[in-house]
Amino acid sequence: MKKFFSKLGSIIVTKEIFEDKKSLRTLYRYFLIGLLVRLIFLPFFFQRDLLSTYQRAAETISTGNLGYDNLQIITNLIHTFYLFIIKSIFPAINEIFSVLLEKDTWVSWLGFNSAYNVFTTLTLFKLLYLIFDIVCMFLILRLSFDGEPENKVRVFKYWIFNPIIIFVLYIFARHDIIGVFVTLIALLLAKKDRKYWAIIVLGLAVALRFFPILILPVLVLYLVRTKKDYIILSLAGVSGIAAVEILTRVFFDKSVILPLLRTTHFEYLLAPGLDLVAGSHGSIFIFIAVYIIIILSFLHIKEKSFDILLNYCAMIYLAYLGICFFHPQYMLWLVPFLIIIFVRRKSLLYYHWVQFALLLVLLIYWGDLVTKFVLAPVDHKYFVYLTGIIPIIERFYDSAKFVNIFRSVFTGISLWMIYLVHKDTKILQAEELKNRGN
Amino acid sequence: MRKISTISKIIIFSVLMVLIILSVCGCKGVFYIPGASYGYYIWEEGSRIFIEWSVDRKDTKFDGEISTDGKINGYELKDWEEGNDTIRVEEDGIVFSATLNGEDYSDGFNFDVQDYTYLEFDLKINDGYDLSRINVGGFLENPENNVFRIEKDYFNQLGMKRWYQKRPFSEFFYKLFSNKYFTFLYLFMLGIIIIEILRMTTLARKRRKIIWLTASYITLILIEICVYFILRFLVR
Repeated sequence: MKKFFSKLGSIIVTKEIFEDKKSLRTLYRYFLIGLLVRLIFLPFFFQRDLLSTYQRAAETISTGNLGYDNLQIITNLIHTFYLFIIKSIFPAINEIFSVLLEKDTWVSWLGFNSAYNVFTTLTLFKLLYLIFDIVCMFLILRLSFDGEPENKVRVFKYWIFNPIIIFVLYIFARHDIIGVFVTLIALLLAKKDRKYWAIIVLGLAVALRFFPILILPVLVLYLVRTKKDYIILSLAGVSGIAAVEILTRVFFDKSVILPLLRTTHFEYLLAPGLDLVAGSHGSIFIFIAVYIIIILSFLHIKEKSFDILLNYCAMIYLAYLGICFFHPQYMLWLVPFLIIIFVRRKSLLYYHWVQFALLLVLLIYWGDLVTKFVLAPVDHKYFVYLTGIIPIIERFYDSAKFVNIFRSVFTGISLWMIYLVHKDTKILQAEELKNRGN
Repeated sequence: MRKISTISKIIIFSVLMVLIILSVCGCKGVFYIPGASYGYYIWEEGSRIFIEWSVDRKDTKFDGEISTDGKINGYELKDWEEGNDTIRVEEDGIVFSATLNGEDYSDGFNFDVQDYTYLEFDLKINDGYDLSRINVGGFLENPENNVFRIEKDYFNQLGMKRWYQKRPFSEFFYKLFSNKYFTFLYLFMLGIIIIEILRMTTLARKRRKIIWLTASYITLILIEICVYFILRFLVR
């Protein structure tokens, strides 16, 4: 029995931490405090998109059409399955089901917030994300610092107390953590040199959420060992994505991948542009140019360690956040990579906190929906009629200019963070070369 | 020394923030920000009744009538724009019409009224009724009818309302109490985690851990019972 639990413990927290009692106690303490913080936020706040996500799932259950959500079909299937289970177990979900099926967005939002059991419903809705969050926090332990239990515990600490994770999952209540989970599995497979599986799983992550596609080129470059690998891995990447596309077409008669190109995510990548001549069609997409620099920089590294790959993933997402328009939940994609670098370079942690503080100001971009309405479950009428932050700012200064000043600071900090990550990469490179030399 | 300097900076900053908020606040009775808040704000100071309105810098018309069985003695206008805004005051009533826009943040008036038992209001925004935008004596103290009356002691009675009877607390406590199985389970889970944190930290150094743990769980159960009675009291 003891052996079984020892094995189970090693599986959950890694062997190094399990065998180091001090690290194990510290990790457990962090886990409890982190869980407490998460539970405090769980029942009381959400952003409108959470309701839309579950409304789509409710519609899928109601109509039996599994291909209901055209853009995020797999995410919708996960939510549908989960909603079906909780609906069968908890009467609170049954009671609110008619609200979920309401077509009018304003009426459904009011009905949801004014329900006497809104806290139960929100807790159950967000519980799915808590489960994925917990799985991710133990997966992330395996990404780096093998044989260094103390550093692994630090990584855990940076994840569990990360303000972006707490905000996006438990206040904003967005589902990006599901995609992050699949991406982490792909990275772990890459670390274990399961190159084909890594690429295929990343393809699945792309189908879940657009963003993992950004790290696909660096992952391919990391995994290739021979020239032949370039072709095979590229084909694996394409075939992984194609497989998802074919399956959804066969089963649901819907395309998953092609609509991604028409989504706002892709548009945001191309939006920051530089017109070469006024009035001409000639322009440069700034993010694409920067992205190519990052990819080429990675390509020219001779000894590519897994930590260097993670650093480049961080640089890519920092560049995206720094240059392109983004929604608050997109910041979650940066976190798994940054927290590992925090252990080596703590100054980045402070900048990350500043990023979070600035994000709270940037919320003004989206108005009441993501500011005061997030608190609506507490008392929807109060927060609907409460004077919003935008009219208050507008009273004194142009709100768009006000936010864009902070947005510019955010960009400056993000670009500076890329430089710091680049410096860290240089040190890693030197260490890697030294290790190979020995 | 450095710590004192930091504290003094925080205090100065806080005082400045309060001053800024007070300077933009439209009135003493009901808090609103002219040019940002939207609606009517009505309150009483002594024997004077104040009515002011504000909108978030959009072209909006505010008009209405006030009537009483008492006697209106005198009135004062606030930020009134002659030509745009009109008011007719009689002994038992007031009729007004005013507009706000991008430059005109708020208007209002106050009047002295004697020997009355009621005041009757018929207030419109853009020629329509929006009762949730009429705040009588406090934020979201809204009337129930388009044409509504308040009795003489309305404001005194409102002043006697406790904080937990006002929004958003009243609604929050109501939801917690009406969904009590969830609330107690939720609090119990939070309590278990807190006790577990204590067990890993403070209690780890104690000798008789089992006694401390038992005491902690008994305390948690007692807290749950107290919460039940407190919530029952708050939402009664």
